Amino acid sequence: MKILVCLKQVPHKDARLEIGSDGTWIKEDGIKFEINDYDNYALEEALRLKDAGEAEVVVATIGPDRVTQSLRTALGMGADRAIHVWDDSLANADSLGIAKVLAAVAKEENFDVVFCGLMSDDSNYAMVGPMLAQLLDIPHVTAVVKTDFENGAVKVEKELEGGTLEVSQVPLPCLLAVQTGINEVRYASLKGIMQAKKKPLDKKALSDIGLDGAAVAPKLSIEKIYTPPKGEGANLLSGSADEIATQMVGKIKELGLL
Amino acid sequence: MPKTLIVGEIQGGSLRESTLELVALARGLGGDVVSVLLGSGIGGTAEELSNKGGGKVLAADHAGLEQYSADGYASVIRQAIEQESPDLILIGNTPSGWDVAPKLAAALDAGIITDVFKIEEAGGDLLFTRRLFNGKFDGQFRVAGTPKIATVQPGAINAYEGSDAGSVEALSAAPESRTKFLELRTAAAGGHDLTKAEIIVSGGRGLGKPENFEAVLKPLVEALGAQMGASRPVVDAGWLPHEYQVGSSGQVVQPKLYIAVGISGAIQHLVGMKNSNFIIAINKDPDAPIFEVADMGAAVDLFELVPALAKAVAAAKG
Ligand SMILES: Cc1cc2nc3c(=O)[nH]c(=O)nc-3n(C[C@H](O)[C@H](O)[C@H](O)COP(=O)(O)OP(=O)(O)OC[C@H]3O[C@@H](n4cnc5c(N)ncnc54)[C@H](O)[C@@H]3O)c2cc1C
Ligand SMILES: Nc1ncnc2c1ncn2[C@@H]1O[C@H](COP(=O)(O)O)[C@@H](O)[C@H]1O
Repeated sequence: MKILVCLKQVPHKDARLEIGSDGTWIKEDGIKFEINDYDNYALEEALRLKDAGEAEVVVATIGPDRVTQSLRTALGMGADRAIHVWDDSLANADSLGIAKVLAAVAKEENFDVVFCGLMSDDSNYAMVGPMLAQLLDIPHVTAVVKTDFENGAVKVEKELEGGTLEVSQVPLPCLLAVQTGINEVRYASLKGIMQAKKKPLDKKALSDIGLDGAAVAPKLSIEKIYTPPKGEGANLLSGSADEIATQMVGKIKELGLL
Repeated sequence: MPKTLIVGEIQGGSLRESTLELVALARGLGGDVVSVLLGSGIGGTAEELSNKGGGKVLAADHAGLEQYSADGYASVIRQAIEQESPDLILIGNTPSGWDVAPKLAAALDAGIITDVFKIEEAGGDLLFTRRLFNGKFDGQFRVAGTPKIATVQPGAINAYEGSDAGSVEALSAAPESRTKFLELRTAAAGGHDLTKAEIIVSGGRGLGKPENFEAVLKPLVEALGAQMGASRPVVDAGWLPHEYQVGSSGQVVQPKLYIAVGISGAIQHLVGMKNSNFIIAINKDPDAPIFEVADMGAAVDLFELVPALAKAVAAAKG
């Protein structure tokens, strides 16, 4: 089985985010980046298939130079090889542009399964997975919380609302967009990190995969981003921990709960 | 003024409330409104939507549409788009909407934006507003070309309440799906029912590690005689069982007092607790979106405040 995992690198969860000077995205210099959380779960799901039998796991990402670090991490976790696509014209790419690039990458090989995350933790778009499936003309399921591969098909559970799960049977090849919590994500072992240095990391330009800037021109553009206006908002308390605690206890008493 | 096509949604046999939110949004933009509704045996619901502002409702009534499938729904919605040539297509950002909308956009090579909570006209164009970075920022977006597709956050807009006489027209559909629906399953409910709790103290990723739920959060939970809750990452990481999770994919709670500790306030968490009677938030980031729904808060390190609060509560009880 041949598996593609689409990974995005996003700002680290603990990074202090500030709006960049042109007001349309965050300031990227000086902050740490990491693999999108949803994609860690997607990669783990692929690696479990590899552990269970014969499978090659390829990871692909689109992003500037900094993303090689995340690809190395993925290789360290157990992926077999990595593909890194970048071109300056992708700096303002929208989800459909990203999906077109990933589709061009996927079309060069025959993958049985493509894993994506449900959404990226920075933009929260949740668009690339279903778009990529459409461009590859394969079926897809989003918000996947369980997979069961058997005889050229996969039984999938999709998370709906309020604790309901939808179970369906999907033929391969297919695309699965994974929800967090589907598995327990492994760490890259020291040995894995050493081995990763020798694994192939293929860097490609758009022209290498038969695309150009015009083919991925964005339709979606960000006018501006801003800190949401504070509505009534919370009464923010100040003082020492003991002083704040005393004020909170006063309120809890007033509510008749003490 | 855009001509808008609303993709209605049926849930458990009835028209989903979020569809009427799409109606309100579409009508607010002032252009023509048409709707498409998919399902099996949906005559009555289509009638209802047409009488509640949905305009002309294209009813795709087919046994193969009884269960949602991305393939089947996308092909029928595409048929409706081709027939009506709308400028704007509105779809609920629900588990089926977030699944089918980007697929449609790729099929039509159309511009799309997901999970918006506001759409306004600006200089002859549309301006879409949504959250980014799990609620830390908002962004305003433009979508080039026609048609434009937007999925809309459920609950963000008040449902349309007017009554209008619309019409229903059959849309003959021949849906086919590569995926085969097997069943709907309810996740096993645990014994930890938060819906009846008077006080809930919930911990998020900010607690850092599982031991801190015992060492830091539990003393406060016990001092208050509260129940413990959690955000999703805590449950995903296996620190607490799923029955502790509050939010859109956990429990929806409405206690007299909800204390959120080290929780950022992503929309999926907020929908599970924002109707609590009184909300206290403790988060070291003063810009954390949880403070928008909180009544009282402190932008401080939880590891300093929570033990102090547990002590103060215990002392007040005497
Ligand atoms: C379809 C779907 C369904 C979902 N369902 C749910 C759901 O049911 N429930 C849910 O909760 N989420 C749900 N999510 C996930 C949601 O989007 C967020 O990822 C999640 O709520 C974030 O949890 P958190 O606030 O604990 O973590 P984070 O967003 O990482 O926030 C941690 C917070 O802790 C603060 N912090 C860190 N250290 C300290 C300290 N020492 N003192 C004080 N504060 C500190 C930080 O400032 C930060 O704000 C869902 C997502 C999707 C896509
Ligand atoms: N730049 C990228 N490179 C590789 N994969 C991506 C990229 N952007 C998004 N993806 C994949 O698409 C999923 C959904 O992303 P999004 O549509 O941006 O929310 C992510 O979880 C990734 O699996």
